[in-house]
Amino acid sequence: MTYDLIIIGSGPAGYVGAIKAGQRGLKTLVIDKKYIGGMCLNWGCIPTKSILESAKTYQKVLHAADFGVTGIKAEEIAFDWQQAVTRTRKIVAKLSRGIEFLWKKNGVEFLRAEAKIISPTQVEADKRVFETKNILIATGSRPAPRDDFPDALSLEDLYSLPVLPEKPLLVGRGANLVELAQFFQMIGKAPIILADDLPLMPALDASLEDFMLKKMSKAKIPLIPVIDAQIKDKSVSYKDKDYPFDMVINAGFRSAVLPQMEPQLKLEDGFIATDRRHMSSTDGIYAAGDVNGKGYLAHVASAQALEVIDSIMGVDLPDEERRYPLNIYTDPELAQIGMTEAQIKAQGIDYQVKQYSMSANGKALTEGSSEGFIRIIHETKYNQVLGVQMVSANATDLISEAGILMELEGSTYELARTIHAHPTVSEIYMDAGGMDG
Amino acid sequence: MRYIFKFPDIGEGLDEGKIIEWYVEKGQSIQSGDALVKMETDKVVTDIPSPKSGVISARYGSIGDSIKVGSALVEIDIEGVEAKDAQDINQEEPAKAVTESVDEEGFGGVVGTIELAGDGAYLPAGDEGISSPNEPKARKKALATPVARAMAKDLGIDINQVVGTGPAGRVTKKDIESHRPPAPQRSVGSIETPRQRTEPLSQIRKTIAKNMLRSKQNTAHMAIMEEVEVSTLIEARSRLNEALKHDQIKLSYLPFIIQAIARALKKHPVLNAELDMENERIIYKDYINLGIAMDTDDGLVVPVIHDADKKSLTDLAHEIKSLADKARERKLTLDDLKDGTFSITSYGSIGGYFAVPVIAYPQVAIFGIGRIAQKPVVKDGEIVIGNIMPISMSVDHRIVDGAEVSRFVNDVLSYLKDPILLLA
Repeated sequence: MTYDLIIIGSGPAGYVGAIKAGQRGLKTLVIDKKYIGGMCLNWGCIPTKSILESAKTYQKVLHAADFGVTGIKAEEIAFDWQQAVTRTRKIVAKLSRGIEFLWKKNGVEFLRAEAKIISPTQVEADKRVFETKNILIATGSRPAPRDDFPDALSLEDLYSLPVLPEKPLLVGRGANLVELAQFFQMIGKAPIILADDLPLMPALDASLEDFMLKKMSKAKIPLIPVIDAQIKDKSVSYKDKDYPFDMVINAGFRSAVLPQMEPQLKLEDGFIATDRRHMSSTDGIYAAGDVNGKGYLAHVASAQALEVIDSIMGVDLPDEERRYPLNIYTDPELAQIGMTEAQIKAQGIDYQVKQYSMSANGKALTEGSSEGFIRIIHETKYNQVLGVQMVSANATDLISEAGILMELEGSTYELARTIHAHPTVSEIYMDAGGMDG
Repeated sequence: MRYIFKFPDIGEGLDEGKIIEWYVEKGQSIQSGDALVKMETDKVVTDIPSPKSGVISARYGSIGDSIKVGSALVEIDIEGVEAKDAQDINQEEPAKAVTESVDEEGFGGVVGTIELAGDGAYLPAGDEGISSPNEPKARKKALATPVARAMAKDLGIDINQVVGTGPAGRVTKKDIESHRPPAPQRSVGSIETPRQRTEPLSQIRKTIAKNMLRSKQNTAHMAIMEEVEVSTLIEARSRLNEALKHDQIKLSYLPFIIQAIARALKKHPVLNAELDMENERIIYKDYINLGIAMDTDDGLVVPVIHDADKKSLTDLAHEIKSLADKARERKLTLDDLKDGTFSITSYGSIGGYFAVPVIAYPQVAIFGIGRIAQKPVVKDGEIVIGNIMPISMSVDHRIVDGAEVSRFVNDVLSYLKDPILLLA
């Protein structure tokens, strides 16, 4: 029996690709050595959001009296890490069952085993060899092991901790690190950031980075550039000051997780090199998601996998670069889509920024989350929106409106003309879109 | 609710018109049917009526500006119609106000059809196109992104001509950027030599070409020719003119011929009809509107005498003169040109004996009158000098057969031979 497609890895690239392949009538087998859903579902996107929500709820309860909810004794409020993890596991299990259901419904087979690619048409797993017409590698990435902290805890291991550290040292760079730092700070711990470099979140617009750095500085989270730090046994020295820590967590840049394989695929910086169709240097072997190094986001991985299925089905892919939101689940959330101001400037485009503050938004005020802003950057000829950045509660959801607008090549006029309900946080689009300058 | 009214395709193949006069100002209240603007095309000067009641919220173009068909003329805020109501109206009366006139463009109705944006044209936002599913002749509105639309307008590109590469053929910014407009007309005929020259077709010539071809391609032309002795008619006309000499009007033969034809059409209604092939039926017209072919410096126009059967000889004479004056001064309005049911051409006034005129499709027939000449005729067994009017008629054989046509011609000629019968 020959499969049309064998997918190695069941994260956002693997499982989404498998469902689509099943829907398209491709005989599909997914092989994963661990849990269905991969990093995203089991340790990444979903669990981190779940524990962040627990932390945000903790903060909300701490400030419940401001909303007129009294009777809660501050000294009795506590953060129960084990309960937060239990809740997380339930969510993960539910989503995992959902994926299995969708696979079954679409005729996708699943095998829990370690896979080895023998040839472009053969995959070995569970001591068997499976014949296939196409292979999709969707094995993802993990934080690159560090020479300076070889024993650092990885994100996957965080959830198995019975007790959380009081003074975690978070080393690395990127959105995960910022989220994690804020998580510890919100539940009353004292995290320390040891940054590989600045900006901390290089893909983000400077306005978002600036906002977050100020926010963390106000929350007294030390930010120490690794280059200026002296690392001792259980403390970091920086500018004549010692910062003791009780655990190191690796939240650094990521490296590809490569499956075992006989064919020599071309690599770039350790990631599988792919073309526009996400095909590797060997015909019939595709790579989607983190493992190809084009992006480290679940939705990017899924989009790539869908393109792989299209490609297998003979659909020509458009040349254009796809646009996707970048979301950071901090409090308040950060979100952006399209070009950053720096990118627009670098292209020499005449542009204008329409910035509107959340503190003028009625709904945000009632929700007690009036911190933040929206920035809509448009070119000045047709007012086409080129980039949107947001800081607000639920910014990660609100950004979708900008996504649709930009997908349809919309301008600020469409935003201003679209009647938004009042009171809503989303009104801010209409308000900003209608601004003169 | 904002409604964008675009310069309608006035159905003669024109693609632009010039603003002569604005009748409305921004902020002015108007009623449906009120004239918005006076537009001049190659052929006519006409008032464009508003399809909606409301308040003018924007006006596009100044006096003297050329406006392309399909470009916005005005924006109307429709009173008291909220978005939802407007939708409802649209659903209830989908066919309303789609087409102002049902007459097809053609020889007889050079400017025939004025297409208005349908009731489907309520626009909640954006410059998205006006279209109506009940408007088969309207050009399909291109699907396009807002920026592509703005860009096309800015660059003077007709977005409907741009091939869209986005989802479902959506025209994107990139498509506008890569769109090459068709080469300008002048370069088309770059075959100038010392012994020939080229001249781009005028709008009116293009229209005539299109209409003639359409007629020949869509009908089964058949011709009948006949002669009629009109000495009595000549005498009647000259006596009438004598009697009317203080009325500052001089009767030509045309009013008599019109009356003769109008009467004969009543007896032979199939010649005052239209073939609806699509629905396999014949549409009989209860009104007799005769198109009169007129030569002008710019080319042929065919203004229409409406309800010709109800008009006296002098009424007809006055109307013919008035239409001729307007045609010469290019002041014919759409109303003057539309709804013809049968056409008459008096080619003989310039010269020519017999002819095979082209039917003003979708009319059924055209009646041609040649030059009256003195000829020997046999009367009471003797050869005498007669006054002979030759006539030539083209009919669409799809709808009517030769026998019926001959009967019709016999009837017309009997009136011309003995015009006293017109008094009956």
